[in-house]
Amino acid sequence: MAERREIRVIAERCTGCRRCEIACSMGHCGMPTPERSRIRVLRLPPEGGHVPVLCQACEDAPCLKVCPMNARVRAETGAVITEAEACIGCRACLYICPYGAPAVAPEDGKTVTCDRCADLPGAPWCVAACRDCGALEAVRPGEAPRRACRDAAAALRPVLRPAGSRRCGS
Amino acid sequence: MRVLIVGNGIAGGEVAFGLRRAGSGAEITILSAETTPEYDPCSLPYYLGGEVPRERVFRRRWEDYRTAGIRLETGEKAVAIDPASRCVRTASGREHPYDRLVLAHGGSLFVPPIAGIDKRGVHGCKQLPDADRLDRHRGSRAVVIGSGAIGIEAAEALKKRGYAVTVIEVMDWILPALFDPETAGRLKRRLERCGIAALTGEKVLRIEGTEAVAAVVTDRRTIPCDTVVLATGVVPGVELARTAGIDVGRGIRVNERLETSLPGIYACGDCVETVDACTGEDAMFQLKHNALEQARVVTRNLLGASASYPGAWAFARAHFFDTHAVTFGKTTRATQCELGDLEIVEREAGDDYLRVIVKEGVIVGGQAIGRFADAAGLLIGAMWRRESVPALRARRALLGDGPHGTLAWTTRRLGELLGLAG
Ligand SMILES: Cc1cc2nc3c(=O)[nH]c(=O)nc-3n(C[C@H](O)[C@H](O)[C@H](O)COP(=O)(O)OP(=O)(O)OC[C@H]3O[C@@H](n4cnc5c(N)ncnc54)[C@H](O)[C@@H]3O)c2cc1C
Repeated sequence: MAERREIRVIAERCTGCRRCEIACSMGHCGMPTPERSRIRVLRLPPEGGHVPVLCQACEDAPCLKVCPMNARVRAETGAVITEAEACIGCRACLYICPYGAPAVAPEDGKTVTCDRCADLPGAPWCVAACRDCGALEAVRPGEAPRRACRDAAAALRPVLRPAGSRRCGS
Repeated sequence: MRVLIVGNGIAGGEVAFGLRRAGSGAEITILSAETTPEYDPCSLPYYLGGEVPRERVFRRRWEDYRTAGIRLETGEKAVAIDPASRCVRTASGREHPYDRLVLAHGGSLFVPPIAGIDKRGVHGCKQLPDADRLDRHRGSRAVVIGSGAIGIEAAEALKKRGYAVTVIEVMDWILPALFDPETAGRLKRRLERCGIAALTGEKVLRIEGTEAVAAVVTDRRTIPCDTVVLATGVVPGVELARTAGIDVGRGIRVNERLETSLPGIYACGDCVETVDACTGEDAMFQLKHNALEQARVVTRNLLGASASYPGAWAFARAHFFDTHAVTFGKTTRATQCELGDLEIVEREAGDDYLRVIVKEGVIVGGQAIGRFADAAGLLIGAMWRRESVPALRARRALLGDGPHGTLAWTTRRLGELLGLAG
């Protein structure tokens, strides 16, 4: 069984470099195409900073209940993923998500969400790509309860310093 | 303990398997009027439209029941409850005893009193046998009566099967229970762009044909066709409960533990009348997520907990071809007979449209098409938390959006979405 892990978001460290998106799409699709990424960097208007958005695999995930095809399933790893063969691309999971986390794959309109790189022995691709900034951290579920990760993803006051004062790698 | 469940649908299955997942050793029996393992009605239009194979509609397999030790009695339609002897009688005449009874038999298609409705070629789209019949049916021109979510989904499926499709709606706009006219008008135009005709404000008078359907006659015209699909709504199944002396209204009445007026008898799913989780008003939303959540409350109460149900929530997507829309909470029409200041926030960008209904400073509902729909979850969250829109405005005016702002990103996105310049 794949190891369970969570990805903790520390939004105030995000500089908006979007390397996580490139890494995610490289890792999952073999192509550096941010539109295919399961993590998305949201730019807050105007000059409002950035926040990485990804599926929080909520305990009582609403997407599991509203999917007409029962295509949203909880994997052994605890991640909540879309079974592509069952998905009809209706986006119900995206519409009910408190973060709007599911991404819509450009080629077939089906949703995809973060699977915590279940098959990867090392750190998830996005976490590895964010090493310099440290806005993403891989943690074991015990280390940071899922709820804490989720609250952090939503309720953080993301911008406490002027944008541009810290650049990726600086 | 013997738990007897009437109905092998979304709610019934969730109770049975939920009990087992929680380790209950109860003797569990499901009485099913149907002949298959549990399937999802929501999936039927996509099987019909050829988007997924038939086996994808099933939520369980036969062996799931065996492994879980759940007795599934198929073709056993419950017809009477005898609360005194704690027994349910089925159409076959068999009697099934219980210690706890769960009514989860959903609702049935409302069949309007239209002449000719029994002709060959008139179908429902409610249950798997309906979808199977439509799948076997050979036709080329279809009329869908009713433009609710099921009607629109059926229309899309038939269009994908090569039918010429006309949808007839008696109200002045399509999807009338789910969307306001402003949103529905845009959806109607998109439906027509996909080659589906939608006739609103038009009443079906009769269905013509000798044995098989030949035409649908409305108060405005005659539409030749060989197929009719009834999508005229679902009426909650209350007869079984009523005849047993259980309190019923529009649906089976339950307390917040989802117990009916007779102790030991619970009800969940499309057959119950409940309250709106946001407003506390009576609600009959008949949606899958509500059936699932109700079933989980019933399960916990059967296990001896005292779980209460917070209420149902309105949420539906409208999806056909490349059109993506969502609705949640109340429509403007649903707020019409209420006191209180109403504010409608509208945004439009190309084909995309957002409509948020704010009453007394809080979001009570909304509808979105296209890109705006992607952020519906933020609006739904704000509605559930009863976040004050004026307070959001004031905070935004005070703190601004600048880099030193201190609002949570979801709140900031919300402000942006509502176009609250402050
Ligand atoms: C075509 C279609 C599309 C839908 N799409 C959506 C959607 O996208 N999103 C959404 O939220 N909801 C949707 N719904 C509604 C959703 O399917 C229902 O809310 C949900 O199935 C309700 O669950 P239930 O268990 O109460 O009823 P059901 O799932 O209908 O199950 C009731 C079962 O009880 C059986 N039964 C009835 N009477 C008896 C009896 N006397 N004895 C024994 N068995 C009996 C029935 O045959 C049925 O199998 C859709 C419904 C349809 C028909």
